[in-house]
Amino acid sequence: MRFKTELKNIRTFSRLVAALNTLEKIAWVRLDDDTVRFTVIPDTGSQVWASFSVDTIFDSYHIQSAEASNTINLELPLGPLQRALKSALNSNHASLRLTKRDGIPMLSMTIHTMTKDAPSRRGNNPKTTDPMDRNDDYDDADNDPFSETNNSLYPQESLELTHKREREKVITQDIPVRVLHPDTVETIMQPKVREPDVHILLPPLVQLKGISDRFTKLAITTASASSSSSSSARKEALNPKLEISANMHGSLRLRLVADTLDITSVWDGCLENPELDPAQLTVPIEEHPSTKYREAGPEKWATVRVDGKDWSRVLSVGRLEGSRVIACFTHEHALILYVYVRRADDDDFPGVGAGRDGDGEDVVTYYVTGYSP
Amino acid sequence: MVILNFTLSEEGVSVFHDALACMYKFSDDVCLEARKDKLTLTTLNISKSAYVCFTFAANRFFSRYHFEGNAQYRDRFFCQLYIRSLLSIFRSRQGSDSVRDKDASIERCDVAIDDGPGKKSRLVARVSCRNGITASHSLPFESKPPIHAKFDKDEAANCWSISSNTLRQLMDHFGPGIELLDINTDDEDRVVNFTCFTDKVQKRGPHGNEAVLKKPLHTNISVEMAEFDDVEVQDKLHIIISVKDFRAILQHAQITSGKLATYYSEPGRPMKLSYSADGILCEFILMTVGEQDAITQKHKNTRARASKTPKPGPGPSPASKPEGSVASNQAQEAPKPVQSPPQQKISPRPRQTQFEIRPPPVPPRAPVTARSDRSDSPLFVEQGDEDEQWEPVDREDDDEFAKEVG
Repeated sequence: MRFKTELKNIRTFSRLVAALNTLEKIAWVRLDDDTVRFTVIPDTGSQVWASFSVDTIFDSYHIQSAEASNTINLELPLGPLQRALKSALNSNHASLRLTKRDGIPMLSMTIHTMTKDAPSRRGNNPKTTDPMDRNDDYDDADNDPFSETNNSLYPQESLELTHKREREKVITQDIPVRVLHPDTVETIMQPKVREPDVHILLPPLVQLKGISDRFTKLAITTASASSSSSSSARKEALNPKLEISANMHGSLRLRLVADTLDITSVWDGCLENPELDPAQLTVPIEEHPSTKYREAGPEKWATVRVDGKDWSRVLSVGRLEGSRVIACFTHEHALILYVYVRRADDDDFPGVGAGRDGDGEDVVTYYVTGYSP
Repeated sequence: MVILNFTLSEEGVSVFHDALACMYKFSDDVCLEARKDKLTLTTLNISKSAYVCFTFAANRFFSRYHFEGNAQYRDRFFCQLYIRSLLSIFRSRQGSDSVRDKDASIERCDVAIDDGPGKKSRLVARVSCRNGITASHSLPFESKPPIHAKFDKDEAANCWSISSNTLRQLMDHFGPGIELLDINTDDEDRVVNFTCFTDKVQKRGPHGNEAVLKKPLHTNISVEMAEFDDVEVQDKLHIIISVKDFRAILQHAQITSGKLATYYSEPGRPMKLSYSADGILCEFILMTVGEQDAITQKHKNTRARASKTPKPGPGPSPASKPEGSVASNQAQEAPKPVQSPPQQKISPRPRQTQFEIRPPPVPPRAPVTARSDRSDSPLFVEQGDEDEQWEPVDREDDDEFAKEVG
């Protein structure tokens, strides 16, 4: 069993891993000749199936396996992978291979990188001098899902000739992995959902996440403030549910209903309902549920209730910049997000086809957990 | 009568603050020692495996400095203070660029220590801000002589130095959950390796297989010897120290873009790291982990005393050896604990102090429970719940959540 590759588009890779890591610590990775697939299935909360063309993040890719159709199935912790990729950002060159250390399988990332010359002393990062923060073991600049990935780490410097010449350092990051037997992954299936009632292109996620988080936070604050109510009701109130609705006339509605609150935010008719590709449908377009919803007019909404915190973690996929996100609503049943990731080297941006993963596209699919009203 | 008084400039206040902040990562209190020509701050961590010493030159670091001995303190004055209370005094109030904040920035700070018979022992710090406000703080102190760890430079045949900035940046590549840093050299490849790892046994998880995935990142950084100055290291020598200590040091080492120099001899013997900036010398002495293979007993310990510090941790360990309060100036080596791998779960801390500590014996200090994550916790003993380090950044935690939202 062999797997060896150079890394490219490390930023995209790193952000994908960061997004997955918000939902679950451990991912199942499936590699074959053409695609690399990351799957996370949390105990509770939304699951993600991300499928990338090998060319998107890998280069000089070699895979060799005795398993059927040359696949390798791995289980790996996302935290360490994310950390390793962080080291690889801004590197000169990075590669990844499957190896063993002390008999334990490892994904070993080899990074060739430079350090930068002395940053100016003060003002760079006042946080580092905060004495009350004793647990500043490692910086947490990645905490904000939408933060720029810690650029402050490498501030720009003027050329200094008196310094000793910087040389390339070789960093090896070994990520523990488990190699999975094909039998163990055979049973894991991508969820099957019936044709969606409404599909809509979501507004910029930073906007949507901002508003959703505000709603959720508001609900939590209100719940914490009210002293009454039983413990189960209280628990419920601390995990507020958001009601998300969309119609086939370009509108998206976000609503929070709590004891004392009822707030709604609407994107009114300004969004796009992409055309479906009839070739990919199982039913004639006229009979498709979305056609019925369109004909029923703008008052016909497909609604799904989601958990505010889980939804926030889902939306952290927004850190994959420039992605197009299509949401597919099945009324009171399911919500699926298809995130079409823009390749750095690709101007011809895909993203049409209304929620079908087409061939060779890089798409991250979220099966958002819904709750009954 | 005023024994000591000195004035710190705005810059001085912040350098002083940073030094204290660095020490705070090792210990709760600091010993201040004043002489005519210098002011020294020292601290020793609770497990006595790390010693920190900052020396401020009287004529270069301070805007004004005056020491006048009295009968009690003829040549030097010393006292022990809580770092936390000092930190809050010297905390810089600048931070942002707004006009209002600028006004509140510290212009200078006058510190005076008045002590003697019939006097209240107090350190008085008067902080003058740009906006005209003057704040006076009066801190009680304990009159307690400082403890200094000794380091025999002749014994330390291995040394290297490198830009502290380069080293600090390299540390950024180490992930969470690791405890030990192994510094080793390879003459063939002409590199120095910095390897971070942990020996913690992970017991959580339903079956052994899953525990594998909970192991932290294993990181190795190879740096060409050509990037170092004065490398003089025995080939293939592995020297192991605590990552936490090393991180704390490098974070502070940002004050200089100059060299950080290290000296060490062999596993189980102390290592010294030092760097200097304008008017300030920073020295750290860290006990290195005794390597099983490298156990040698050069010197017989002749003046062993019973352990002064109650040891946390289970049972009688083979390491109940002197906690090094030895008055002798001779380099001495305590017998090393013999560790066999099957016993590792209850094996003694490998980083017991072997510093020579002079002069007064340290009264036993109760272990601070809130700091069990410090390097004083047993290194090879299972540490209980490690789950937190695996938490995604914006998991359940409401505070985090609020931060993210706001």
